[in-house]
Amino acid sequence: MDETPDDELVAAVARGDERACRLLMERHLGRVVALARRMMGNQADAEEVAQEVFLRVWTHAESWQPGRAQFGTWLYRVAANLCLDRLRRLRPSVDIDDMPDLVSGEPGPDARLEQDQLAARVEAALQQLPERQRAAIALSHYEGFSNTETAEILEVSVEAVESLLSRGRRQLRALLATERDELLRSRETSA
Amino acid sequence: MSNKMTLERFAAIIDAYGTSPARWPADERAAAEAFLAEDPAAQALAAEAAKLDLMLAAARVEAPSAALVERLMAARPRAVAVAPAPLQDKGVFRRLIEALWPYGSPVVPTGALAASIMLGVALGSVSEVSVIGMSAASAASVEMETGERLVALALADTAWPEEWMQ
Repeated sequence: MDETPDDELVAAVARGDERACRLLMERHLGRVVALARRMMGNQADAEEVAQEVFLRVWTHAESWQPGRAQFGTWLYRVAANLCLDRLRRLRPSVDIDDMPDLVSGEPGPDARLEQDQLAARVEAALQQLPERQRAAIALSHYEGFSNTETAEILEVSVEAVESLLSRGRRQLRALLATERDELLRSRETSA
Repeated sequence: MSNKMTLERFAAIIDAYGTSPARWPADERAAAEAFLAEDPAAQALAAEAAKLDLMLAAARVEAPSAALVERLMAARPRAVAVAPAPLQDKGVFRRLIEALWPYGSPVVPTGALAASIMLGVALGSVSEVSVIGMSAASAASVEMETGERLVALALADTAWPEEWMQ
């Protein structure tokens, strides 16, 4: 991928450079959508958030001051904050107990279904976490941001990030206890 | 952070970041990896945490849709074509006036009018003097030229040619 620094791309975006717009999206749009998907729990809302994030990039590109902040940190902070704002307005309605049970048995045509059901139940469990724990897990576990980057994006200390992650994982472990046993049993059967 | 790893600290790292060393704090990663390689209790903690990591890996994400990319490209900033300002030599006096009254000064049209009157009077007297000793044809030519210049002066805009100041 092109090695041009983000700041230079943003400056080129402000000048109306089409290639810079594409490169900036290639570099960050997928990750913004993924973060928003973990936070919002569905693709449509995730894409709406991502659209709003990039429209802000287009609007503010001209006034972006290189060196004042990392563009990536600013971008994902905007994305996380937009998600948190939306989630506060729309409380989650997904309950993990409403999700179908995992189909256990022989691997084969059912394996894909089982994987889909597990994915749905993990997503539902993520949606049951408090928003900031979910944001920390989305950024650190799923998007691979370091603890310091996650702290900068969420504007909290590294210690606070670690606490959010620990509490989040502990709650996920409890929410997914049944799935974990079934998944392991299924793996043992297929082995 | 200290490079000395304890089981307690290792448990806290695993509890927060899971089993992939890539997610562990950079300044403790080497010490934690070394500790994991040697300590059976650390290995047991990691094996337990790996079950949750395995389940979390099941959650998938979709790539951004082509429609989203298209919408964003359609809304991107466009280059604005700025036409270069026409070059014109305004002269020292005009530049000075514009510096003093950026939104336009009454001095310019008033000055132009006064100068026109003065120049007209001067040209008129010069043409009267100059016809003495000239042929009728050349006198008529001078008169016509003077008349044209006066018409040109009357029709001129308020721009003040620099040479008029010399």
